[in-house]
Amino acid sequence: MIFLEIKKLSEKYGDIYVLRDFDLRVVKGEFVSIVGKFGVGKSTLLKIIAGLMPIYNGSILIGGLTPKEAIKRRIVGIKFQKSNLLPWRSVLENLLLPLELAGINDKDRAFQLLRLVNLEVISDLRVSQLSGGTEQLISILRSLVLNPELLLLDEPFSSLDEITREDLYEKIKLIHIKEKKTTLMITHSIDEAVKLSDRIVVLSDKPTRVKEIFDNKASKFDINEIRRCLK
Amino acid sequence: MFKIAKNFVFVIVAALIWQLSVFLFKIPNYLLPAPADIIVSFSKNYLIIIENAFITLGEVLIGFFLANLISLIIVCLIFYNKKIEKIILPASITIKTIPIIAITPIIILWFGTGFFSKVVVVMAICFFPSLINMIRATKSINSDLFHIFTIYSATKKQTITKLIIPSTLPYLFSSLKISSSLAVVGAIVGEFVAVNKGLGFLIMSNYYSLNMSMVFTTTLIVCLVGLLMYYCIDVIEKRLIDERY
Repeated sequence: MIFLEIKKLSEKYGDIYVLRDFDLRVVKGEFVSIVGKFGVGKSTLLKIIAGLMPIYNGSILIGGLTPKEAIKRRIVGIKFQKSNLLPWRSVLENLLLPLELAGINDKDRAFQLLRLVNLEVISDLRVSQLSGGTEQLISILRSLVLNPELLLLDEPFSSLDEITREDLYEKIKLIHIKEKKTTLMITHSIDEAVKLSDRIVVLSDKPTRVKEIFDNKASKFDINEIRRCLK
Repeated sequence: MFKIAKNFVFVIVAALIWQLSVFLFKIPNYLLPAPADIIVSFSKNYLIIIENAFITLGEVLIGFFLANLISLIIVCLIFYNKKIEKIILPASITIKTIPIIAITPIIILWFGTGFFSKVVVVMAICFFPSLINMIRATKSINSDLFHIFTIYSATKKQTITKLIIPSTLPYLFSSLKISSSLAVVGAIVGEFVAVNKGLGFLIMSNYYSLNMSMVFTTTLIVCLVGLLMYYCIDVIEKRLIDERY
C-alpha cells in the first residue's frame, strides 16, 4: 500500500529549478533513504513533504492527505540535523512537548519510547548533561511521541562520530522494527543509507530528479554501484 | 566569603587614602569632602535620605518593569504580525537618538512634576535597549525549532509561551542588567529637571547650597540603588537561568 506519493514535484528558487518533475512512491512501513550530493535540494524536498514550504508544482499525498492536512492530523514526525531539544526542559519534558502542544496527557507513551532504547534512567536529566548521540536519539524519540505515521529524518547522524553512529544505527533499526513507521531519511552518507534502508533513492544534480532507485529486497545493495551512481 | 572580605578591605583602604589625601593636601570641603564628613552627613540626614531613596527606587522599579513588559508585549505582537516591527523599530531608533536629558523637560511638561513623570523618563531610557535585545533574541532562535512547533500544530500562544519566552530569557536577563543601571540614570535625570522629591532632588538642592558632603552621600546612595538592582537581577538570573539552561 502506497503511503507517500510524490508526483511531478518541482520547486524553484527564483528562476532556478531546485527540484524538477520529482516522482517517488513510498510503501507503508518502508524505510527509504534519499542520497544526494551537498546542495542538491534534499532538505528542501523534506521541508516540502513536511508542509513547511509551499509546492511550486506537482503534488504530494501522505496517506491520501496533502502535507498541510497531514500536519493538522499530526501524522508527520520530523527530526532535523540538529537535535533541537529545548535546554530548559528535562529529557522527559522534551519528550512530552509534542503531547503538551496537542493537549494530550500521556507520560506512558514517553516512557514507552525511553524503555525501547533503555534510556528511562535518564528521563530527569537536563539536555546539557546528555552526550551528542543520546541527544540525537531523544530528538528522534520526540518525533515519534505523537505516533506519527510518517517519520522524516534530515541527516540525523551528520554531527556524530563513527562509534556513536554505529550504535545509533542499531537503535534506529530497533525503533523502526518496533514502531513500524514509514520513514524517509535524507542523507549524504551511502553507508548510513545501506545499513538502514529498504530502498535507496539516488538524486541527480540540479535540477534534482530521481536518478536511480536501489531496492534491497530485489537485489542486495551493492555499495560500489550506489557510489558510482552518485558520482 | 573571601571575595567579600577582600572587597571590604579594598573599600576601607581606599577610604583611608582618600581621608589622608584630603587632610594632607588641605582640600576644601566644597571640592572634595572627606569620607568622615560623608559618614557624619549620612548619620545626620539618614531619615531624609532613606525617604527619598525609596521614592527614587519606586520610580526605578516601576519604570523598569513597565519598559520591559511593554518590550515583551511588542515582541509578542511582532510574532503575530511582522509589519509591527517595521513601524516600531524605526520609531524607537529615532526616539533613542534624542538624548534623555533633552526629552525629559517635555516629559515633565506633559506628565507633570510628580512621581509618574519620572517613571515615564525611566521607561523612555530603558525601553529601547530592552526592545532591541528581545527582538535580537527572538531572531536568534533556530528556525528549525519554529518548524518543529509548526509540525506539532502549535498555536501562536503555545509558540510564544513554550518557545519564544523561554528561549529569550537568557537575553532578557542580559538586557535587564543593562537597563537596570540606565533606569537609575533616568530617575535621577527626571528628578534633576522636576526638582521636588527623590535622590536627584537631594543632589541638586544640596549642590545649590554647596553642601558637598550631602551631595557625595546622596551620590553614594544612588550608586548603591544601582548596585542593588543589578545584584537582585543577577541572583534571580542565577536561580532561573544558570540552573536550567
